[in-house]
Amino acid sequence: MNLSLLDPFSLAQDYPETLTSELRSGHSTCIRFNRKGDLLASGRIDGAIVLFDVETNSLARILRGHVRQVQYFSWSNCGRYLLSASQDFRVIRWDLTKTGEEAMRAVRFVAPVYCAEFHPTNVDMFVAALYEDTPYLVDISSIKTLKLALPSGPLRRDPAAAEKHAASDSRHQTTACVFSSTGEYILSGNSKGWLNIISTETQKTVHSHSFTNSCITYIRLTNSGRNMVLNSADRIIRSVVLPEKILPDEIELEVEHKFQDVVNRLFWNHVMFSGNGEYVAASTYHNHDIYIWERSLGSLIKILEGPKEELGVCEWHPSRPLVAAVGLESGKIYIWATTNPQRWSALAPDFAEVEENVEYEEKEDEFDIQPVEDVKKRRLHLETETVDVVTIEPVRGEEVGGWQMPVSLLEEETESEEENVRIEGPRRTKPAEKKEGGEVKGGGARGR
Amino acid sequence: MTTPPTPNSSLPPRRTRFDQTSPPLRSTPSTTQESPPPVRPEYALKFTLKGHSAGISAVKFSPDGKWLATSCNPPPPLYAKLANRLTLTTAADSTLKIWHSLSGAHEHTLTGHQAGISDLSWSPDSLLLCSGSDDKTVRLWDTLSGKLWKTLKGHHNAVYCVSYSPRGTIIASGSYDEAVRLWDVRSGRCLKTLPAHSDPVSGVGFNRDGTIVVSCAHDGLIRIWDVGTGQCLRTMVEEGNVPVASVRFAPNGRYLLAGTLDSSVRLWDYVQGKTLKTYQDHRNEKWAVAADMCGSEDSDVFLWDVNSKEPAQILVGHEDVVLGCSAHPTEKVLATGGLDKTVKIWVDES
Repeated sequence: MNLSLLDPFSLAQDYPETLTSELRSGHSTCIRFNRKGDLLASGRIDGAIVLFDVETNSLARILRGHVRQVQYFSWSNCGRYLLSASQDFRVIRWDLTKTGEEAMRAVRFVAPVYCAEFHPTNVDMFVAALYEDTPYLVDISSIKTLKLALPSGPLRRDPAAAEKHAASDSRHQTTACVFSSTGEYILSGNSKGWLNIISTETQKTVHSHSFTNSCITYIRLTNSGRNMVLNSADRIIRSVVLPEKILPDEIELEVEHKFQDVVNRLFWNHVMFSGNGEYVAASTYHNHDIYIWERSLGSLIKILEGPKEELGVCEWHPSRPLVAAVGLESGKIYIWATTNPQRWSALAPDFAEVEENVEYEEKEDEFDIQPVEDVKKRRLHLETETVDVVTIEPVRGEEVGGWQMPVSLLEEETESEEENVRIEGPRRTKPAEKKEGGEVKGGGARGR
Repeated sequence: MTTPPTPNSSLPPRRTRFDQTSPPLRSTPSTTQESPPPVRPEYALKFTLKGHSAGISAVKFSPDGKWLATSCNPPPPLYAKLANRLTLTTAADSTLKIWHSLSGAHEHTLTGHQAGISDLSWSPDSLLLCSGSDDKTVRLWDTLSGKLWKTLKGHHNAVYCVSYSPRGTIIASGSYDEAVRLWDVRSGRCLKTLPAHSDPVSGVGFNRDGTIVVSCAHDGLIRIWDVGTGQCLRTMVEEGNVPVASVRFAPNGRYLLAGTLDSSVRLWDYVQGKTLKTYQDHRNEKWAVAADMCGSEDSDVFLWDVNSKEPAQILVGHEDVVLGCSAHPTEKVLATGGLDKTVKIWVDES
């Protein structure tokens, strides 16, 4: 609702420009915004999950359940459930309306979990890709967990080719998987560069497409589900347009853009879409920057200068020009946003800002002297407009309903002040740093 | 009635006005009158709650409608700075009380403030209550247990007004130190200090989605601020810089209702920056009364029809200035409190 009062020029700026703030609670390894954009989940190296309130940059809640580094998050559309995948071989579904053990539904696997993504409409269903193991479609609607194995190898229409490649196809491993926008299909990327479309109902591959020869490390869809980006080990980010309805027999997957740094041949750590899907941004391997491309022409428009460390997982806020990224060494969360100067005319209603000098033309009756009472009376007579103070007009982009995180009165769910330090402007060292150092060593190797 | 009365004129014989027929009526922003047929509100006094030992400064129903909170401010409550603070304020006077909203039974008395309390606000989940006091602090209370949860310190002078954001994560407070502060409820830190005004800030309020906050002050300005950036987005001023005593957004967030000390309540279109309606007839030159409905210094409570600007009902019963009033979120119930140390509950049973 503040949009009607904002400077239209400042709204036109829809990608972030400068590093504005930092968030910290322990050593963060993985972050994700919820659909609404009011919470940011941050997974730590010690397995704790911290939920930050985006509006106030404060710590809203800590979820303790994992014992090793958190690897991946997925939020349900309503914002009430959070799915977290960890290196401790477990995926936990958190119900944020509850506390303690009741809030957790853990599913144990036999290998560390790369990623686990919610079904778009059913919060009792998710897909999980595991380290050197079969991916699973998991149903947790009943007390007994139902795990259905998913294929990893590509579907070859030609029987001769299928036989020829049978041995090598069996070594394919699924490294990333997500649901399509309707939840009817699972899109999974494997270690040999194939993208498989698997039916959720039958768990059979219905279509396969080879994008590259190297491993697909990450798949991300826009909120609408119409666009997809693939990050792969061949240093190229591919953006792909998906059809509105996936028909397995007719589907043609075409690469819309290939984003790469031809000069420096950079690897990409993590890639994501902006909230509206118009931009693609990626953090770089052994480098301190975040690259932003716009998707209509595929051109690079901005390199966000980072702090002096490599950035891992980065995330774009679903509705605002705001990018958050995790520093790999310090475990801080850095935030880039837009900065707008104060409009001075807003402070004094009888002043207006002008670009250059303007000759002022006086109105006919501007300096006429009239009796104050008459003026007042006349103004009161003019107040004939009918006003409606109750009816709420929906505002574009405003999400109605949805679950909202309450303010918790319980002290043990939040942490003491020194662990949750928000630093603005130049960085300072905090006493908490030492303690974190110990945790880093204990936490073992970082990332994949 | 075609000629609106001029401000400061002696009050016309009010009760005769009820005889006239007028277009469909609705009581000012309160949602108590939802049906469109031309029915005048018929609120009648149901209870008088006694218990406070000093004047009542604020009265608020909780958002879930179960509770009524009242705050007590030993005299002189709001113009303490000007009036040379002649009272012997004791901590016992500075209390908040929570009552069952429909039965009027007393539930809790919250003590802890070192000086009088000027304003209070409920959290959207009705579990927390915040209060602003002359002891320069804003305090948060757990209303189930009646215990103090947090004390927000930072203002350099008495806190005059407080308001909860609709998400319950931010509290805005205005103070005699002429600043508006935004507080993070969870950590109790001050998020932003807005260099808002050049006189005591008499009212703050969030809009429906919590993206903007409005503040008003005795310097006559009403300013709208962006909560995210802390920047001023709009300023409104009435000719002559009449001190503004209270301000709030309309339920749908499109308009502002502001009470000024020239005995007027104005409805502003803040996007265009102009006054749409002026409600008069009451007397208000000194005290900051709540512009929800409107209390008045002639110890009555006025309800106006939003569009016709006519008083729809005048509640007579208080014996001194009425400072606080509140409308029940769902029922046709009003609560008012004033310097006569009583809280009155009015029910429309028609």
